[in-house]
Amino acid sequence: MATYSNTFEQSAGNKKWGTILTGIGILTLLAGIGLLGFSGDEHSKTRFWAGLLQNSVYFLLVVNAAMFFLCATTLGFAGFTISFRRVAEAISTLVPVFGVLALVVLLAIVFTDQTHIYHWMDTVTRENDKIILGKSGFLSKPFFVIWTIVAVGGWTIFGAKMRKISREADDTAMDTETAKKWLFKNSVHASLFIVCFGLTVASTIPWFWLMSIDAHWYSTMYSWYVFASTFVAGMALIALYIIYLKNQGHLPFTTKEHLHDIGKFMFAFSIFWTYLWFSQFMLIWYANIPEETEYFRIRMHGEYRGLFWLNLILNFVTPFLLLMKANAKRNYTIVTFAAVVIIFGHWLDFYLMVAPSTMKAHGSIGWFEIGVAIGYVGLIILLVGRGLSKSPLVPMHHPLLKESIIHHT
Amino acid sequence: MSVIKYESAVRGPLIDGTKDYHQITEDILKPIETTPSKLWKIGFTIAVLLLIFGVYSVYREVTYGIGEWNINKTIGWGWDITNFVWWVGIGHAGTLISAILLLFRQGWRTGVNRAAEAMTIFAVICAGQFPIFHMGRVWMAFFVMPYPNTRGPLWVNFTSPLLWDVFAISTYFTVSLLFWYSGLLPDFATIRDRAKIKWRKRFYGVAAFGWTGSTKHWQRFESLSLVLAGLSTPLVLSVHTIVSFDFATSVIPGWHTTIFPPYFVAGAVFSGFAMVQSLMIITRKVLNLQEYITMEHIEVMNKVIVLTGSIVGIAYITELFMAWYSQNPYEGYAFYYSRANLFSPYGWSYWGMMACNVISPQIFWFRKLRRNLTVTFFMSVLINVGMWFERFVIIVTSLYRDYLPSSWSYYYSPSTWEIGFYLGTFGLFFTCFFLFAKWFPVIAIAEVKSILKKSGNKYKNEELRHELENDSIEEFTKKFSHH
Repeated sequence: MATYSNTFEQSAGNKKWGTILTGIGILTLLAGIGLLGFSGDEHSKTRFWAGLLQNSVYFLLVVNAAMFFLCATTLGFAGFTISFRRVAEAISTLVPVFGVLALVVLLAIVFTDQTHIYHWMDTVTRENDKIILGKSGFLSKPFFVIWTIVAVGGWTIFGAKMRKISREADDTAMDTETAKKWLFKNSVHASLFIVCFGLTVASTIPWFWLMSIDAHWYSTMYSWYVFASTFVAGMALIALYIIYLKNQGHLPFTTKEHLHDIGKFMFAFSIFWTYLWFSQFMLIWYANIPEETEYFRIRMHGEYRGLFWLNLILNFVTPFLLLMKANAKRNYTIVTFAAVVIIFGHWLDFYLMVAPSTMKAHGSIGWFEIGVAIGYVGLIILLVGRGLSKSPLVPMHHPLLKESIIHHT
Repeated sequence: MSVIKYESAVRGPLIDGTKDYHQITEDILKPIETTPSKLWKIGFTIAVLLLIFGVYSVYREVTYGIGEWNINKTIGWGWDITNFVWWVGIGHAGTLISAILLLFRQGWRTGVNRAAEAMTIFAVICAGQFPIFHMGRVWMAFFVMPYPNTRGPLWVNFTSPLLWDVFAISTYFTVSLLFWYSGLLPDFATIRDRAKIKWRKRFYGVAAFGWTGSTKHWQRFESLSLVLAGLSTPLVLSVHTIVSFDFATSVIPGWHTTIFPPYFVAGAVFSGFAMVQSLMIITRKVLNLQEYITMEHIEVMNKVIVLTGSIVGIAYITELFMAWYSQNPYEGYAFYYSRANLFSPYGWSYWGMMACNVISPQIFWFRKLRRNLTVTFFMSVLINVGMWFERFVIIVTSLYRDYLPSSWSYYYSPSTWEIGFYLGTFGLFFTCFFLFAKWFPVIAIAEVKSILKKSGNKYKNEELRHELENDSIEEFTKKFSHH
C-alpha cells in the first residue's frame, strides 16, 4: 500500500473557493436586505424571506441527514461505513452553524410578522378564519419558536455526542469486550438521536417550517416526504466528499465498493422519494377534494408548471437512469454528476414547497435565490473542510474498520 | 482475492456449536428423513380440523349467500377484509428478508429466509380467500380478470384500486413463489442425492429440476437470485401500498390520508416479522434448530420490530394530529369520537391497537428483553393481535357511522361463519406450514453454508481468526490485498 495521510489539511484552493462562494452569498444577502428586505414592495419582501427560508431549511436538513445516516447505520451495526464515516461526521458538524442560521431566519420571520410567509400569524386572519383559529393551539408563535429551538438544539447536542464518542476509536486499540461495550455506548446515543429525529424531522418540524406556509392545507405524508428529499440529498453530499477526498489521495480504505453502496442509497432513495411524491400526489388527485387539491393546482398550472415537472425529471428520471447500472455507481464522473443533480433537484423541490404559496404568481428563481444557495455551498466547502481537518480521516481502531476494509458489494 | 473469511469478533456467531458442512446437512434434513414426531402429528391434526371447519363456513356462505355473515349495508367490509389485509401484511416479511436483505448482504437472513418465504406464500394464499369469497357469487370471480369477452363492453374498472390489488397481489405471489422455489433447488438436489428410498429420490429428483451443483448452475443461480431480488424489492413496497390505496383513494374520513402507503408498508413488515418470530421460536424448538436460528437472529428481528413499530407509531400520531389540525369535522369525528374515545362503541379496538403496536414493542429498546424468548414470543403474538385491531379500526370505525345517520349500523359482531372462515385460514396456513416443515428443508442449507466460515461459531474461534483480529491495519490489509 502506498503511503497515505490520515489527516486532511484544507488546501488553499478549497479555502479560496469556499471563501469566494460564501462571499457571493453574503453579498447577495446584503443586496437582498437592501433591495428586497427593506423594499416597500410586498412581493420583494416576501421573496426575500421565502428565499432565505427555502435555503436555510433545506441546507440544514441536508447536513443533518448525514448524522441520521451515521446513527441509522450505527443502530443497524453496519460495518461498511466505517472507512468513510468521518466524512459524514464532518458534514454533520455543520448542523449547529446551519441550525443557527435557520433559527435566525425563522425567528426573524416570526418576530417581524412576515405574514406573507406564515399567514397564520396574521391576527386579523386569525379572528376571521375559523380554521386558522381552530389550529391556533399548534400554529402559535411561542410553540413554533420553542419547538424550533428544541429541535435544532437536540440535533446539535446528540450529534456532537456521537462525534465525540467516535473520536475514542482514534488512538487506542480495543479488545473485543471493550469494543462491544463501546459499540453499545454508540448505539445508545444513536438511538437518542434517532428518537429525536423521529419526533422532529419525521413529524413536527416540517409541519411547522414548511407545511404551515399553506396554513389551511394538510397532508399526513408531508414530513416523511421532506425527510426523503433531504436524506437523498444528504447521501449525495457524502458521495461528493468521498470522491473529492479520494481524488486528493485520502481515504485509502474506501474503495469503489463503498461508493457503489452509496450509489445504491442514492438510487434507492431517489425512487423512495418518488414513491412518496407519487403517493401524496395521486391520493390527493384521486380523491379530488378542493381543500387538498389547491396545493397542487397552484404548482401544476401556471407559473410553476415547468418546475413542477422538472422536479420529477431531476429527482426521479435522472438518478433512475444514470445510476441503474452497477458500473455507473462505481464511476466517479457519473456519481458526481448524479449527486450534483440530486442536490440541486431537491433544492428545487424545496423551492416548490415554499415559493408557490408565498409568492403566488410572482415567483421566480433569480439572483437572490441562487446567490444565497451559492453562499451555502461556499459555507459547506469551508466548514466541511474544517470539520475534516479536525479529526483523523479514518478511526483506525474502530472495531468494525477491518470489515469495512474488506467490504465488497 | 484472498480466501480468508473475516468478520469482526464483536459480532456474535450466526451458527452456534461446532458445525461443519456435513453436520448442517444432517441437522436440517433430519425432519425430512425421519418419521414425524407426535407433536407434529397433533399439530397437523388440529390444523386440518380448523381447515375443515373453515371449508364448511365458506360452504355456508357460498350456498346461502353473504347474509350468513353479519356485515351490512353500512359496514360492507367487516371481518373478511380485516382478515384479508391482516394476512397480506403478514406476507411481507418473507420477501423483505429474502430480497431486501439479500441486497443488503445481511448474513443472518440465511437462518430464517426459507421459512419466512414459505410463510409469505401461505399468508398470501390465505389473504386471497377473503376478497374472493366476499364477492358473494364466487363463481363469477373470474370477472376480475381483464380480457376481451362476450359480455359486451364489460371490462373491469381499471381506475379502481380493488383491481390494482388483483394485479399487485398476483404479481407478488408469483415472484415470491419463484424466488422461494428457485432457492429450494440446490437443497432438493441434496435430499435427492442422499436419498436411500426410491420414491424420495424420484420425488426430489423431479423437484430439483436436474440440479447438479456445477459452477454454471451456481452462476445462474446467483444471478437469478439477484434479478428476483431486484424485482421483489419494489414489490415489497407496492403490495401494501396498493392495499392502502383501497382505503386512501376514497373520501371516507379516517381512510383518505396521504401517509397510508408507507405507513401500511411499515405495519406490514412489522406484523410479518412478528409472525416470523412466533413461527421460528416454535420451529427451532420442535425441530431442534436452536443452533441455526440463534439468539442473534431473534434479537435482530426484534430490532426490526421496534423500528417498524415506532414508524407505525409516528404514523398513528400523525393521523390523529392531522384529524384535529385539518379542522375537518368529519375527520375529527372519525378520530376523536369513533376511535380515540375509549367509551365509543369501538373505542376498545383503537386503544387495543395503540397498546399492542406502539406502546408494548418499545420494550425492545432493551437488549435483555430482545434476547428473552418468552418475552419475544408473547410480544410477537401480541403484535399480531394489535395489527388485526389496526385493520379492524380502520375498516369498521370509519364505516359504522357514515354521512347519513339513518343508515348508521347497529353494533357489528361477526357471525359464527365469519369467525369460522377466519379460523379456517389459520387451518390452511398451519396445514401448509406443517407440511412444509416435514417435507421441505426449513432452513436454506446451501445459503447457511455460505456464511459458515464467516459467521459460524467454530470458525470464529479459530486461531487464524484471532490472528486477523489482532493484526494491525497494515498487516491486515497486506493479507487481504490483491496479488
